Amino acid sequence: MANKEQSFTKPSGKTYSLVEIVKAPTTMVDKGPDNTIFAFPIVAILELIIALGSTLFLVLFSLLKDAPLEELANPLITTDPAKAPWYFMGLQEMLEHMHPTLAGIILPVLAVGFLISIPYIDYSREGAGVWFTSKRGKRIVGWTALYTTIVMSGFVLLDNAFPPRELFRDVLPNLVTQSILPGGVMALLVILPAIVLWKSKEGSNPREIMLVLFTVLFFTAVVLTLTGFLFRGPGFELFLPWAMPGGYNPFDGL
Amino acid sequence: MKKLKEFILNSRPWKSFFRHGWPDNPLDRSLIMTTNIFFHLHPVRVNKKSIKASYSMGLGIITTVMYILLSLTGIMLMFYYVPSVETAYFDIVTLQTKVPFGQLLRNMHRWGAHMMVLTAILHMARVFYTGAYKPPREFNWVIGVILLIMTFVGSFTGYLLPWDQLAFWAITVGTSVAAYEPLMGKTIQKLLLGGPEVGQAALTRFYALHIMVVPAVLFLLIALHIWRVRKDGGLAANEVKDEVEAEDGK
Repeated sequence: MANKEQSFTKPSGKTYSLVEIVKAPTTMVDKGPDNTIFAFPIVAILELIIALGSTLFLVLFSLLKDAPLEELANPLITTDPAKAPWYFMGLQEMLEHMHPTLAGIILPVLAVGFLISIPYIDYSREGAGVWFTSKRGKRIVGWTALYTTIVMSGFVLLDNAFPPRELFRDVLPNLVTQSILPGGVMALLVILPAIVLWKSKEGSNPREIMLVLFTVLFFTAVVLTLTGFLFRGPGFELFLPWAMPGGYNPFDGL
Repeated sequence: MKKLKEFILNSRPWKSFFRHGWPDNPLDRSLIMTTNIFFHLHPVRVNKKSIKASYSMGLGIITTVMYILLSLTGIMLMFYYVPSVETAYFDIVTLQTKVPFGQLLRNMHRWGAHMMVLTAILHMARVFYTGAYKPPREFNWVIGVILLIMTFVGSFTGYLLPWDQLAFWAITVGTSVAAYEPLMGKTIQKLLLGGPEVGQAALTRFYALHIMVVPAVLFLLIALHIWRVRKDGGLAANEVKDEVEAEDGK
């Protein structure tokens, strides 16, 4: 066996052969592609640091704060307030402002449908891999975020103070006060900044329209989730988080 | 010391395990990536831009790490938990008071779940704002949206398992929304809960979904998601300079 091994030349591990000469701006002889480095070990080290760091964070947090556990489940005693998990509090908050089919089914389905269709509406490759695509994109996102935070907070507060379904209970049918009116206001608030951008002097492209619509969706979700999670107390009424009646603490329900 | 290293690196067990030499040269640094199942998800060379913390913030990796931690702590929780309306709550109480590190175990699973939902949402926002959904990555974005929804489902089904007031009423409120769907709503709610209200049937179903169905679906989709990141050319940050260069070359 030993003889047989020696009868072969030592394997180089890699062989080269000339297949074709290609005219291209980059040749790979003696240098790697520009601006790249070997993934090993740097990527392995970075991933290890992220993994260990987030594990350490989780262990430390778990040592400091205990997971909540209330009394044994009892279908006869309703908790007040009864809240869904925090990531569904945006949905529960919308239920306060419009018809359940609209808030719980139609708008969420539209939102997911919009998310899935984003890359099929904005399919240009321009600006991929750059935060906000451009300086202008960054400004658009900033202003849209500010706009959304203000109008959605305003929508929640106004609707809470003057609920149309109470004010026009005997004047208008439920379909108008619970579905058409709040749905129309929502649609207007969502589309308004996109129309402003579309009609602006500089014009717009699909990416910028997507930036506006996604930012509206994202910050609406943030505002509604925070309202439902932080500002809703007993009776699902609005309170300041630090002035909840009855010692209710929203964070106990995480 | 050097001799010892040589001895180990040339030993049969070592060579049977690692099919490459010590990765201190370009060839072995390439081979380590292509011959290792965990590393082969990565390219041999990466663009410096795509590993900058300010680009991706590592949110996808953190989400994946949370998935792994949740799987590990979840399996350990299963050793102590029986999904019965009679015993489930007291299993949790026992876990927290009598089992060594039981409270820490449960805390890690609970907070880890919240963190996974949060980082998955932030990861989606990062991908959107960096335009990383653009061709050829459209379908991976769609997989990502499904992954986010499955993460919600995973967290939501786990929420019921402690069988305390918090769990019971959160799931009651959460599933009542499904009933408002005009055509199939009541059917969907019944299918989820196995009855008109949250009871043993609901606990059994949520348990099966939580420990088996959702993790398996997530595992498959995460594998597909990461594989497609690799196949679509790594992170989108790679391409920024390359395209400029290609234009200069003309």
